[in-house]
Amino acid sequence: MGPALSFLLILGAMSAALPAWAGGEEAANSRVVEAYIEMRTHPGRNYPVFYVAERGETIELLKRRTDWIKVRNHRDIEGWVHVNDIGRTVDASGSPLGLHSPDRESFANRGWEFGFMLGSLDKTDAISAYAGYQFTPNLALEADYTENYGDFSDGRMLSASVVHQMFPQSRYSPFFTLGGGARQTNPRSTLVDTDDRTDGVASVGAGLRIYLTGRLLLRLQYKHYVVMTDRDDDEEAGEWKIGISAFY
Amino acid sequence: MENRHKRFLLGIAAALLAAGATAQDVVQVIEPEVERREIITPDIDTENFELGFFVGMISIDDFASEPVYGVRGAWHLSENWFFEANLGAAEVDLTSYEKISGGAPLFKDSERDYNFYNLNVGWNLLPGEIYFSENRAFKSDLYLLGGVGATDFLGDTWFTATFGIGYRLLVNDWIAWRLDVRDHIFDRDSFGEDETTHNVEWSTGVTFFF
Repeated sequence: MGPALSFLLILGAMSAALPAWAGGEEAANSRVVEAYIEMRTHPGRNYPVFYVAERGETIELLKRRTDWIKVRNHRDIEGWVHVNDIGRTVDASGSPLGLHSPDRESFANRGWEFGFMLGSLDKTDAISAYAGYQFTPNLALEADYTENYGDFSDGRMLSASVVHQMFPQSRYSPFFTLGGGARQTNPRSTLVDTDDRTDGVASVGAGLRIYLTGRLLLRLQYKHYVVMTDRDDDEEAGEWKIGISAFY
Repeated sequence: MENRHKRFLLGIAAALLAAGATAQDVVQVIEPEVERREIITPDIDTENFELGFFVGMISIDDFASEPVYGVRGAWHLSENWFFEANLGAAEVDLTSYEKISGGAPLFKDSERDYNFYNLNVGWNLLPGEIYFSENRAFKSDLYLLGGVGATDFLGDTWFTATFGIGYRLLVNDWIAWRLDVRDHIFDRDSFGEDETTHNVEWSTGVTFFF
Protein backbone atom coordinates (compact mmCIF):
# COMPACT_ATOMS: atom_id res chain seq x y z
CA MET A 1 0.00 0.00 0.00
CA GLY A 2 2.84 2.38 -0.82
CA PRO A 3 0.74 4.79 -2.87
CA ALA A 4 -2.04 4.94 -0.28
CA LEU A 5 0.41 5.65 2.50
CA SER A 6 2.13 8.40 0.62
CA PHE A 7 -1.16 9.96 -0.40
CA LEU A 8 -2.23 10.08 3.24
CA LEU A 9 1.06 11.69 4.12
CA ILE A 10 0.51 14.37 1.53
CA LEU A 11 -3.04 14.99 2.67
CA GLY A 12 -1.70 15.22 6.21
CA ALA A 13 0.81 17.79 5.11
CA MET A 14 -1.87 19.73 3.27
CA SER A 15 -4.22 19.71 6.25
CA ALA A 16 -1.44 21.15 8.37
CA ALA A 17 -2.03 24.33 6.41
CA LEU A 18 -5.63 24.43 7.52
CA PRO A 19 -5.34 26.35 10.82
CA ALA A 20 -5.06 29.46 8.67
CA TRP A 21 -8.35 28.55 7.10
CA ALA A 22 -10.28 27.84 10.29
CA GLY A 23 -12.38 30.60 11.78
CA GLY A 24 -13.72 33.56 9.86
CA GLU A 25 -17.29 33.26 11.14
CA GLU A 26 -17.89 36.98 11.49
CA ALA A 27 -18.58 38.91 8.34
CA ALA A 28 -15.91 41.53 7.81
CA ASN A 29 -16.95 44.88 6.43
CA SER A 30 -14.88 47.51 4.77
CA ARG A 31 -15.36 50.93 3.24
CA VAL A 32 -14.11 52.08 -0.14
CA VAL A 33 -11.84 55.12 0.14
CA GLU A 34 -10.27 55.05 -3.31
CA ALA A 35 -12.25 56.58 -6.16
CA TYR A 36 -13.80 53.21 -6.97
CA ILE A 37 -13.16 49.47 -6.94
CA GLU A 38 -14.04 47.06 -9.69
CA MET A 39 -16.17 43.99 -9.11
CA ARG A 40 -15.81 41.08 -11.51
CA THR A 41 -18.17 38.23 -12.28
CA HIS A 42 -15.68 35.50 -11.29
CA PRO A 43 -12.30 35.26 -9.55
CA GLY A 44 -9.85 36.00 -12.35
CA ARG A 45 -8.42 39.00 -14.16
CA ASN A 46 -9.93 37.93 -17.49
CA TYR A 47 -13.50 38.13 -16.19
CA PRO A 48 -15.60 41.18 -17.00
CA VAL A 49 -16.06 44.08 -14.59
CA PHE A 50 -19.85 44.29 -14.16
CA TYR A 51 -20.11 46.73 -11.25
CA VAL A 52 -18.07 49.54 -9.76
CA ALA A 53 -18.34 50.26 -6.04
CA GLU A 54 -17.89 53.99 -5.36
CA ARG A 55 -16.00 55.84 -2.67
CA GLY A 56 -17.88 55.65 0.63
CA GLU A 57 -19.68 52.44 -0.15
CA THR A 58 -19.49 49.73 2.49
CA ILE A 59 -18.84 46.22 1.27
CA GLU A 60 -19.04 42.92 3.07
CA LEU A 61 -16.13 40.52 2.56
CA LEU A 62 -17.53 37.03 2.08
CA LYS A 63 -14.70 34.68 1.12
CA ARG A 64 -11.35 34.51 -0.52
CA ARG A 65 -10.13 32.29 -3.35
CA THR A 66 -6.47 32.67 -4.27
CA ASP A 67 -6.03 36.43 -4.86
CA TRP A 68 -9.71 37.27 -5.17
CA ILE A 69 -12.24 38.22 -2.54
CA LYS A 70 -15.96 37.81 -2.98
CA VAL A 71 -17.82 40.88 -1.73
CA ARG A 72 -21.42 41.98 -1.32
CA ASN A 73 -22.58 45.58 -1.23
CA HIS A 74 -25.67 47.11 0.42
CA ARG A 75 -27.72 46.42 -2.71
CA ASP A 76 -26.89 42.70 -2.43
CA ILE A 77 -24.75 42.80 -5.52
CA GLU A 78 -22.01 40.17 -5.27
CA GLY A 79 -18.76 40.14 -7.19
CA TRP A 80 -15.06 39.39 -6.97
CA VAL A 81 -12.46 42.04 -6.17
CA HIS A 82 -8.70 41.64 -6.32
CA VAL A 83 -7.11 41.35 -2.88
CA ASN A 84 -4.78 44.32 -3.57
CA ASP A 85 -7.83 46.54 -4.15
CA ILE A 86 -9.42 45.26 -0.93
CA GLY A 87 -6.13 46.06 0.83
CA ARG A 88 -6.76 49.75 0.09
CA THR A 89 -10.22 49.78 1.64
CA VAL A 90 -10.60 50.68 5.32
CA ASP A 91 -12.33 49.12 8.31
CA ALA A 92 -14.66 50.83 10.80
CA SER A 93 -11.76 52.56 12.57
CA GLY A 94 -10.41 53.94 9.30
CA SER A 95 -7.30 51.78 9.04
CA PRO A 96 -6.49 50.02 5.79
CA LEU A 97 -7.13 46.26 5.81
CA GLY A 98 -3.55 45.38 4.98
CA LEU A 99 -4.36 42.51 2.66
CA HIS A 100 -2.24 41.88 -0.39
CA SER A 101 -1.35 39.12 -2.79
CA PRO A 102 1.67 36.99 -1.87
CA ASP A 103 4.95 38.56 -2.94
CA ARG A 104 8.66 38.36 -2.18
CA GLU A 105 8.11 39.78 1.27
CA SER A 106 5.64 37.02 2.03
CA PHE A 107 8.28 34.58 0.79
CA ALA A 108 10.79 36.01 3.28
CA ASN A 109 8.20 35.78 6.07
CA ARG A 110 6.75 32.41 5.14
CA GLY A 111 5.69 29.87 7.74
CA TRP A 112 4.79 26.64 5.98
CA GLU A 113 6.32 25.27 2.84
CA PHE A 114 5.04 22.29 0.84
CA GLY A 115 6.40 20.81 -2.32
CA PHE A 116 7.43 17.88 -4.34
CA MET A 117 10.70 17.05 -5.97
CA LEU A 118 12.00 14.84 -8.67
CA GLY A 119 15.52 13.61 -9.27
CA SER A 120 18.06 10.92 -9.02
CA LEU A 121 18.99 8.99 -5.88
CA ASP A 122 22.07 6.85 -6.43
CA LYS A 123 21.32 6.71 -10.20
CA THR A 124 17.68 5.66 -9.75
CA ASP A 125 14.55 7.75 -10.34
CA ALA A 126 13.36 9.34 -7.14
CA ILE A 127 10.37 11.46 -6.18
CA SER A 128 9.55 13.03 -2.89
CA ALA A 129 7.01 15.17 -1.13
CA TYR A 130 7.91 17.32 1.82
CA ALA A 131 6.53 19.81 4.29
CA GLY A 132 8.52 22.30 6.30
CA TYR A 133 7.91 24.92 8.94
CA GLN A 134 10.11 27.99 9.19
CA PHE A 135 10.27 28.64 12.91
CA THR A 136 12.87 31.42 12.76
CA PRO A 137 13.87 33.45 9.69
CA ASN A 138 16.92 31.19 9.34
CA LEU A 139 15.85 27.80 10.63
CA ALA A 140 13.24 25.38 9.42
CA LEU A 141 12.22 21.83 10.29
CA GLU A 142 11.25 19.58 7.41
CA ALA A 143 9.71 16.16 6.98
CA ASP A 144 10.36 14.41 3.72
CA TYR A 145 9.00 11.24 2.14
CA THR A 146 10.98 9.82 -0.79
CA GLU A 147 10.36 6.87 -3.06
CA ASN A 148 12.92 5.63 -5.53
CA TYR A 149 12.67 3.04 -8.27
CA GLY A 150 15.74 1.15 -9.40
CA ASP A 151 16.32 -1.83 -11.67
CA PHE A 152 16.98 -4.10 -8.71
CA SER A 153 15.03 -2.57 -5.86
CA ASP A 154 12.53 0.07 -4.80
CA GLY A 155 13.04 2.15 -1.74
CA ARG A 156 11.00 4.33 0.56
CA MET A 157 12.51 6.78 2.96
CA LEU A 158 11.06 8.95 5.66
CA SER A 159 13.32 11.58 7.11
CA ALA A 160 13.32 14.74 9.18
CA SER A 161 15.85 17.50 8.79
CA VAL A 162 16.89 20.88 10.06
CA VAL A 163 17.36 23.43 7.29
CA HIS A 164 19.40 26.57 7.73
CA GLN A 165 19.24 29.47 5.28
CA MET A 166 21.81 32.23 5.45
CA PHE A 167 20.00 34.99 3.55
CA PRO A 168 16.28 34.80 4.31
CA GLN A 169 15.55 38.09 2.50
CA SER A 170 17.14 37.04 -0.75
CA ARG A 171 15.25 35.94 -3.84
CA TYR A 172 17.92 33.26 -4.32
CA SER A 173 18.21 31.72 -0.90
CA PRO A 174 20.86 29.03 -0.35
CA PHE A 175 20.51 26.56 2.50
CA PHE A 176 22.23 23.72 4.32
CA THR A 177 20.43 20.71 5.66
CA LEU A 178 21.16 18.00 8.19
CA GLY A 179 18.84 15.11 8.88
CA GLY A 180 18.09 11.55 9.70
CA GLY A 181 15.43 8.93 9.18
CA ALA A 182 14.68 5.41 8.07
CA ARG A 183 14.83 3.71 4.71
CA GLN A 184 13.08 0.58 3.53
CA THR A 185 14.43 -1.38 0.56
CA ASN A 186 12.28 -3.81 -1.41
CA PRO A 187 14.10 -5.92 -4.00
CA ARG A 188 12.31 -6.31 -7.36
CA SER A 189 9.91 -9.23 -7.67
CA THR A 190 11.63 -10.42 -10.85
CA LEU A 191 14.79 -11.11 -8.85
CA VAL A 192 15.46 -14.13 -6.69
CA ASP A 193 13.54 -13.48 -3.48
CA THR A 194 15.43 -11.50 -0.90
CA ASP A 195 13.81 -9.94 2.13
CA ASP A 196 12.81 -6.34 2.51
CA ARG A 197 15.04 -4.51 4.90
CA THR A 198 14.87 -1.32 6.91
CA ASP A 199 17.93 0.74 7.81
CA GLY A 200 18.64 4.03 9.51
CA VAL A 201 19.90 6.90 7.38
CA ALA A 202 21.71 10.15 8.07
CA SER A 203 22.00 12.93 5.54
CA VAL A 204 23.81 16.16 4.89
CA GLY A 205 23.04 18.47 2.02
CA ALA A 206 22.89 21.89 0.47
CA GLY A 207 20.54 23.60 -1.90
CA LEU A 208 18.92 26.71 -3.23
CA ARG A 209 15.40 28.09 -3.03
CA ILE A 210 14.43 30.50 -5.77
CA TYR A 211 11.33 32.63 -5.40
CA LEU A 212 9.31 32.48 -8.61
CA THR A 213 6.01 34.30 -8.32
CA GLY A 214 2.95 34.38 -6.09
CA ARG A 215 3.29 31.48 -3.68
CA LEU A 216 5.63 29.48 -5.88
CA LEU A 217 9.27 28.70 -5.39
CA LEU A 218 11.75 26.48 -7.17
CA ARG A 219 14.02 24.30 -5.12
CA LEU A 220 17.29 22.62 -6.08
CA GLN A 221 19.18 20.43 -3.68
CA TYR A 222 21.88 17.85 -3.23
CA LYS A 223 21.90 15.44 -0.30
CA HIS A 224 24.46 12.89 0.68
CA TYR A 225 23.07 9.88 2.54
CA VAL A 226 24.75 7.32 4.72
CA VAL A 227 22.64 4.19 5.04
CA MET A 228 23.53 2.32 8.20
CA THR A 229 23.11 -1.29 7.13
CA ASP A 230 23.66 -4.29 9.37
CA ARG A 231 26.32 -5.55 6.96
CA ASP A 232 30.02 -4.86 7.34
CA ASP A 233 29.99 -1.62 5.36
CA ASP A 234 27.60 1.29 5.39
CA GLU A 235 26.23 2.35 2.03
CA GLU A 236 26.58 5.88 0.76
CA ALA A 237 24.35 7.50 -1.80
CA GLY A 238 24.13 10.89 -3.45
CA GLU A 239 20.83 12.50 -4.41
CA TRP A 240 20.13 15.39 -6.80
CA LYS A 241 16.69 16.87 -6.89
CA ILE A 242 14.68 19.66 -8.40
CA GLY A 243 11.26 20.58 -7.14
CA ILE A 244 8.46 23.04 -7.08
CA SER A 245 6.98 24.23 -3.81
CA ALA A 246 4.45 26.62 -2.42
CA PHE A 247 4.61 28.53 0.83
CA TYR A 248 1.94 29.71 3.17
CA MET B 1 24.43 105.28 13.45
CA GLU B 2 24.24 102.00 11.66
CA ASN B 3 25.10 100.15 14.83
CA ARG B 4 22.34 101.87 16.72
CA HIS B 5 19.81 100.97 13.99
CA LYS B 6 20.91 97.39 14.10
CA ARG B 7 20.60 97.27 17.83
CA PHE B 8 17.16 98.80 17.67
CA LEU B 9 15.94 96.34 15.06
CA LEU B 10 17.48 93.41 16.86
CA GLY B 11 15.87 94.58 20.09
CA ILE B 12 12.43 94.65 18.44
CA ALA B 13 13.03 91.26 16.85
CA ALA B 14 14.05 89.79 20.22
CA ALA B 15 11.00 91.29 21.91
CA LEU B 16 8.69 89.90 19.20
CA LEU B 17 10.29 86.46 19.48
CA ALA B 18 9.88 86.50 23.24
CA ALA B 19 6.24 87.55 22.86
CA GLY B 20 5.75 84.75 20.32
CA ALA B 21 7.27 82.25 22.72
CA THR B 22 4.98 83.30 25.57
CA ALA B 23 1.97 83.22 23.20
CA GLN B 24 2.95 79.67 22.22
CA ASP B 25 3.07 78.65 25.86
CA VAL B 26 -0.56 79.64 26.20
CA VAL B 27 -1.72 77.66 23.16
CA GLN B 28 -3.22 74.31 24.12
CA VAL B 29 -0.77 71.66 22.93
CA ILE B 30 -2.37 68.44 21.75
CA GLU B 31 -1.35 65.67 24.04
CA PRO B 32 0.70 63.11 22.06
CA GLU B 33 -1.30 60.21 23.36
CA VAL B 34 -2.65 58.91 20.10
CA GLU B 35 -3.94 55.39 20.39
CA ARG B 36 -1.77 53.12 18.31
CA ARG B 37 -3.70 51.76 15.37
CA GLU B 38 -3.06 48.15 14.69
CA ILE B 39 -3.78 46.82 11.26
CA ILE B 40 -6.05 43.89 11.89
CA THR B 41 -6.36 41.62 8.94
CA PRO B 42 -9.94 40.43 8.87
CA ASP B 43 -10.59 36.70 9.06
CA ILE B 44 -11.94 35.85 5.68
CA ASP B 45 -12.94 32.30 4.86
CA THR B 46 -10.49 31.09 2.24
CA GLU B 47 -11.48 28.42 -0.23
CA ASN B 48 -8.27 27.34 -1.89
CA PHE B 49 -8.58 23.58 -1.49
CA GLU B 50 -10.53 21.28 -3.72
CA LEU B 51 -11.35 17.67 -2.87
CA GLY B 52 -13.48 15.10 -4.65
CA PHE B 53 -13.70 11.77 -6.39
CA PHE B 54 -13.51 10.52 -9.94
CA VAL B 55 -14.67 7.53 -11.92
CA GLY B 56 -13.73 6.52 -15.43
CA MET B 57 -11.97 4.04 -17.63
CA ILE B 58 -8.29 3.30 -17.91
CA SER B 59 -6.79 1.47 -20.82
CA ILE B 60 -3.93 -0.63 -19.43
CA ASP B 61 -1.17 -1.72 -21.79
CA ASP B 62 -1.33 -5.47 -22.63
CA PHE B 63 -4.61 -5.73 -20.76
CA ALA B 64 -8.13 -4.49 -21.42
CA SER B 65 -9.73 -1.15 -20.56
CA GLU B 66 -10.96 -1.30 -17.01
CA PRO B 67 -13.04 0.90 -14.71
CA VAL B 68 -10.96 3.20 -12.54
CA TYR B 69 -11.96 5.24 -9.50
CA GLY B 70 -10.24 7.34 -6.90
CA VAL B 71 -9.93 10.57 -4.99
CA ARG B 72 -8.50 13.82 -6.21
CA GLY B 73 -7.40 16.85 -4.21
CA ALA B 74 -5.97 20.20 -5.26
CA TRP B 75 -4.51 23.30 -3.66
CA HIS B 76 -5.03 26.45 -5.68
CA LEU B 77 -2.01 28.72 -5.38
CA SER B 78 -3.18 31.46 -7.69
CA GLU B 79 -5.80 31.87 -10.35
CA ASN B 80 -3.33 30.24 -12.75
CA TRP B 81 -1.52 27.55 -10.79
CA PHE B 82 -2.49 24.63 -8.60
CA PHE B 83 -0.99 21.50 -7.08
CA GLU B 84 -2.96 18.32 -7.41
CA ALA B 85 -2.73 14.89 -5.81
CA ASN B 86 -4.55 11.77 -6.99
CA LEU B 87 -5.03 8.32 -5.59
CA GLY B 88 -6.73 5.75 -7.79
CA ALA B 89 -7.36 2.06 -8.28
CA ALA B 90 -8.33 -0.34 -11.04
CA GLU B 91 -8.14 -4.09 -11.51
CA VAL B 92 -7.16 -6.02 -14.63
CA ASP B 93 -8.30 -9.36 -15.96
CA LEU B 94 -6.22 -11.80 -18.03
CA THR B 95 -3.86 -10.61 -20.75
CA SER B 96 -4.88 -11.42 -24.31
CA TYR B 97 -2.19 -14.10 -24.38
CA GLU B 98 -3.51 -15.77 -21.24
CA LYS B 99 -7.02 -15.84 -22.69
CA ILE B 100 -6.00 -17.34 -26.03
CA SER B 101 -3.43 -19.86 -24.78
CA GLY B 102 -5.67 -21.15 -22.01
CA GLY B 103 -2.55 -21.97 -19.99
CA ALA B 104 -1.76 -21.22 -16.38
CA PRO B 105 -2.21 -17.53 -15.46
CA LEU B 106 1.00 -15.48 -15.45
CA PHE B 107 0.13 -13.36 -12.45
CA LYS B 108 -1.53 -13.83 -9.10
CA ASP B 109 -4.87 -12.11 -8.51
CA SER B 110 -3.34 -9.69 -6.01
CA GLU B 111 -0.81 -8.63 -8.63
CA ARG B 112 -3.62 -7.64 -10.96
CA ASP B 113 -4.58 -4.69 -8.77
CA TYR B 114 -3.56 -1.49 -10.45
CA ASN B 115 -3.07 1.19 -7.74
CA PHE B 116 -1.53 4.54 -8.40
CA TYR B 117 -0.86 7.92 -6.91
CA ASN B 118 0.56 11.05 -8.47
CA LEU B 119 1.42 14.66 -7.68
CA ASN B 120 0.89 17.23 -10.39
CA VAL B 121 1.32 20.86 -11.16
CA GLY B 122 -1.66 22.26 -12.98
CA TRP B 123 -1.90 25.36 -15.10
CA ASN B 124 -5.24 26.95 -15.95
CA LEU B 125 -4.54 27.53 -19.60
CA LEU B 126 -7.94 28.80 -20.67
CA PRO B 127 -10.03 30.25 -17.86
CA GLY B 128 -13.46 31.06 -19.18
CA GLU B 129 -17.16 31.40 -18.68
CA ILE B 130 -19.96 29.48 -20.25
CA TYR B 131 -23.37 31.04 -20.66
CA PHE B 132 -26.49 29.05 -19.89
CA SER B 133 -28.98 31.86 -20.05
CA GLU B 134 -29.17 35.63 -20.25
CA ASN B 135 -28.16 36.14 -16.61
CA ARG B 136 -26.37 32.97 -15.78
CA ALA B 137 -22.71 32.35 -16.50
CA PHE B 138 -20.58 29.62 -14.97
CA LYS B 139 -16.85 29.76 -14.45
CA SER B 140 -14.82 27.16 -16.27
CA ASP B 141 -11.15 26.31 -16.69
CA LEU B 142 -9.32 24.26 -19.26
CA TYR B 143 -6.08 23.14 -17.63
CA LEU B 144 -2.90 21.26 -18.42
CA LEU B 145 -1.28 18.96 -15.89
CA GLY B 146 2.07 17.31 -15.52
CA GLY B 147 3.43 15.31 -12.67
CA VAL B 148 5.06 12.25 -11.22
CA GLY B 149 3.96 9.39 -9.07
CA ALA B 150 4.04 5.66 -8.67
CA THR B 151 2.01 2.71 -9.88
CA ASP B 152 1.69 -0.57 -7.97
CA PHE B 153 1.11 -3.19 -10.62
CA LEU B 154 2.13 -6.79 -11.36
CA GLY B 155 3.90 -7.15 -8.04
CA ASP B 156 6.14 -4.09 -8.27
CA THR B 157 6.01 -0.34 -7.89
CA TRP B 158 6.83 1.65 -11.01
CA PHE B 159 7.93 5.25 -11.27
CA THR B 160 5.23 6.95 -13.31
CA ALA B 161 4.97 10.22 -15.18
CA THR B 162 1.53 11.70 -15.83
CA PHE B 163 0.39 14.24 -18.37
CA GLY B 164 -3.12 15.37 -18.89
CA ILE B 165 -5.65 17.91 -19.89
CA GLY B 166 -8.83 18.61 -18.05
CA TYR B 167 -11.89 20.78 -17.83
CA ARG B 168 -13.42 22.14 -14.66
CA LEU B 169 -16.87 23.70 -14.58
CA LEU B 170 -17.95 25.45 -11.41
CA VAL B 171 -21.66 24.90 -10.86
CA ASN B 172 -21.56 27.46 -8.04
CA ASP B 173 -18.71 28.92 -5.97
CA TRP B 174 -17.75 25.62 -4.43
CA ILE B 175 -19.03 22.65 -6.46
CA ALA B 176 -17.14 21.72 -9.60
CA TRP B 177 -17.63 19.12 -12.28
CA ARG B 178 -14.43 17.81 -13.81
CA LEU B 179 -13.57 15.97 -16.97
CA ASP B 180 -10.04 14.65 -17.39
CA VAL B 181 -7.85 12.74 -19.82
CA ARG B 182 -4.48 11.63 -18.48
CA ASP B 183 -1.69 9.46 -19.70
CA HIS B 184 0.17 7.43 -17.09
CA ILE B 185 3.56 6.53 -18.55
CA PHE B 186 5.89 4.04 -16.93
CA ASP B 187 8.60 1.55 -17.84
CA ARG B 188 8.09 -2.01 -16.64
CA ASP B 189 9.90 -5.29 -17.12
CA SER B 190 7.18 -7.64 -15.93
CA PHE B 191 7.28 -9.55 -19.24
CA GLY B 192 11.05 -9.99 -19.20
CA GLU B 193 12.33 -6.90 -20.93
CA ASP B 194 11.98 -3.18 -20.33
CA GLU B 195 9.08 -1.57 -22.13
CA THR B 196 7.45 1.82 -21.89
CA THR B 197 3.71 1.64 -21.36
CA HIS B 198 1.08 4.31 -21.90
CA ASN B 199 -2.04 3.91 -19.83
CA VAL B 200 -4.67 6.44 -20.70
CA GLU B 201 -7.28 7.36 -18.13
CA TRP B 202 -10.58 9.02 -19.02
CA SER B 203 -12.42 10.21 -15.99
CA THR B 204 -15.09 12.48 -14.69
CA GLY B 205 -15.81 13.56 -11.18
CA VAL B 206 -17.17 16.05 -8.74
CA THR B 207 -15.01 18.17 -6.45
CA PHE B 208 -15.78 20.57 -3.64
CA PHE B 209 -13.89 23.71 -2.68
CA PHE B 210 -13.30 24.42 0.97
